[in-house]
Amino acid sequence: MIEVQHLTKRYGRVTAVDDVSFRVERGEILGFLGPNGAGKTTTMRILTGYMPASDGRAMVAGLDIFDKPIEAKRRIGYLPEAPPLYPDMTVREYVDFVARIKGVPSKERKDRVDTVMKRTHVADMADRHCAKLSKGYKQRVGLAQALIHNPDVLILDEPTAGLDPKQIIETRDLIRSLAGDHTIILSTHILPEVSQTCQRVVIINQGRVVAVDTPENLIARLKGAETMFVQVDAGGADVLPVLGAIPGVLGIVASDQRGVVGGFEVESERGTDIRRQLARTIVDRGWGLLELRPMRMSLEEVFLQVTTEERPDEPTNPAETITPAMVEPVPGVDSHE
Amino acid sequence: MNNTLAIARKELRSYFASPMGFVITGLFALLFGWFFYAYLSYFVRSSEQMMMGGGTPNVNQHMIAGLLQNAAVIILFVMPMITMRTYSEEKRSGTIELLLTSPVSDVEIILGKFFGAMGLYAAMLGVTLLYVAILFFLGNPEWKPVAAGYLGLLLMGGCFISVGLLVSSLTKNQIVAGISTFAVFLFLWVINWIGESAGPTGRQIVSYISITEHFDDFARGVIDTKHLVYYLSFITFGLFLTAKSVDSERWRG
Ligand SMILES: Nc1ncnc2c1ncn2[C@@H]1O[C@H](COP(=O)(O)OP(=O)(O)OP(=O)(O)O)[C@@H](O)[C@H]1O
Ligand SMILES: [Mg+2]
Repeated sequence: MIEVQHLTKRYGRVTAVDDVSFRVERGEILGFLGPNGAGKTTTMRILTGYMPASDGRAMVAGLDIFDKPIEAKRRIGYLPEAPPLYPDMTVREYVDFVARIKGVPSKERKDRVDTVMKRTHVADMADRHCAKLSKGYKQRVGLAQALIHNPDVLILDEPTAGLDPKQIIETRDLIRSLAGDHTIILSTHILPEVSQTCQRVVIINQGRVVAVDTPENLIARLKGAETMFVQVDAGGADVLPVLGAIPGVLGIVASDQRGVVGGFEVESERGTDIRRQLARTIVDRGWGLLELRPMRMSLEEVFLQVTTEERPDEPTNPAETITPAMVEPVPGVDSHE
Repeated sequence: MNNTLAIARKELRSYFASPMGFVITGLFALLFGWFFYAYLSYFVRSSEQMMMGGGTPNVNQHMIAGLLQNAAVIILFVMPMITMRTYSEEKRSGTIELLLTSPVSDVEIILGKFFGAMGLYAAMLGVTLLYVAILFFLGNPEWKPVAAGYLGLLLMGGCFISVGLLVSSLTKNQIVAGISTFAVFLFLWVINWIGESAGPTGRQIVSYISITEHFDDFARGVIDTKHLVYYLSFITFGLFLTAKSVDSERWRG
C-alpha cells in the first residue's frame, strides 16, 4: 500500500533522510520510531506530498506522490506534528472546511463531519473556537481532520502527543480499530505505544533505517538468551549451585538478597523454557517459590541500543554488535530526550 | 472550482471572524467619507461660481472622478492590511501543511485566496456606494461613468491584491509582509512622479507601468480595452509569480 524506495531529503548541507526504504502492506499499522531529529517528520512530509524528496520514490496506494499528487492526496489522511487548525474557526466549521477541500461529496458532508467528530470525541466542543481548545482537544480535532474523507492511508505524526492517559488509550484503540480498512503509519517517541499498537516497527536514526521488524522480533533478536527472575526463600540454604545444575541454565546471578529471601537472574539458552524445571527444583527442596517471571528486554533498550549503534550502515543485523542489557520493561515512560 | 470556492469562503470568513475585517471596512468607509465631504463642499462652492459664470457644473466630471482617484490612494494604504496575512499566517501556524497535503492544486489555493480578498474588497467598495447614492438622491449624475469608475477600482485593487499575495507568500511574518507590501505599492504609485521628470520616452514607459496611471481613464468614466488588458495581465502575472514562489518554497522545504 505504501512503498518507499531510497528516499533522501537534503536541506542544504543537512541530510535529514538518507536512503530510506520500507513497505507497508494494506491494513497494517507501522510504527515509525526514532529520537528527535531522526527524520520522521521529514519522511512523512514527503509521503504526504507536502514537499518533494531530493532523491528516491514514494508510492501511496499505487500512485507516485510526485507524479500524481492530487490523486494520491485524495487517499491520504495526514495529522501533522502540530495540528493545522485555524484559530478563528469553530471545530465544526473547521472539520467542514477540511471535508470540502478533501473532496467529500456535499450530500454526505454533514454526516461525515458528525460521525468523525463523535469518533474522535470532539463532538462536545463542536461550537468552540479552535484557538480556545486545550492541547489534547487540538490533537483530537487534528485526528478528526485526518479521518474526514475516510482515506485508505493514514499518516499520523505523534498522534498521542499531549493527550492525557485516558485519551491515549482511547486514541490507540481508535487507531487499532482503523487498521484493516486503513493502512497506517504513526510516529512516536513512546515505545510501549509501538508494542501495543503496531504490527511492525521501523527504527530510524540520523535519517537512516537501523531496524525493521515486529516489536517482538526486535526484542527477541537483540537478546542472545532468555532470562528468568526467581525469588526464593531457601531458609539460608545455598541456592546458586542447585539452580545452576538445572540443564539449559547458562548462568545465574544473585541480584538481591533480603535476609533468607534471595532474588536470582537465571539465564538460559534461547528456545528452551526452563520455568517448569526451575519451579520443580525449588519446590522439591521445600523452599518457598515467591516469584518467577521472564525478564524481557523492553523496546526502550532495543531502541537505545539500535540508535546509539555506531555502525548504522549494517541495519539488517544489529544483534551481533550489541550486548543486551537485562532490564525490566518500564511501561509508560516517555522518550529519551 | 469547488476547492477555490471553499478556500475563498474560508478566507472571507476569517476576515470577519476577527475585528480585522470590520476595522478595515470601517477605516476605508471613514476615509472615503471624509474625501466625499471635502469634494462635495468644494463642488457645491465651485458650481455656484460656475453657474454665475454661465457654465454647467457636471457632478461626474467635477466631483466623482476626483473622489475615485482619491479612493485609489486610500486603497493603497488599506490593502496591505488585507493581504499581509494570507500566506504568512498559514506558514507561521502550519495550516499551510493542511492545504498543501490536500487534493487541491496550488492554483486553486491561490485563486481561493485572491477571490477571498476580492470579496472583502468588494464589500468595502459596496459600503462607499452608499455615499454615491446620496449624489443620486440629491442630483442626477450619470450612472455609467460611475460604474466604469468602480470597475476600475475593482481591477486596480485586484492588482494590489495579487502583489500583496506574492509578498505574503515570501515570508512567515505578517508584519514584514504588510510593510513590504506597502513599500511596493508606494513604489508603484510614486513611479509616476519619477516619470514626469524623465524624458518623453521615459515618461511613456513609466506611465505604462504605473498602476494608478491606468486608473485615470476609468475615473473619468471611460473603459478602454488597453487598460483592461493591462490590469488583467498584471493580476495574472502577480498570481503566476505567487504560484512560482509557493512552489519554490516547497522545494526548499
Ligand atoms: N525546514 C528545515 N530546514 C532545515 N533543516 C530541517 C528542516 N526541517 C527539519 N530539518 C532537519 O532535518 C532533520 C530531521 O528532522 P525531522 O523534523 O524530520 O525529525 P523528527 O524525527 O521528526 O524529530 P522529532 O522527533 O523531534 O519530531 C533534523 O536534523 C532537522 O534539524
Ligand atoms: Mg517530528
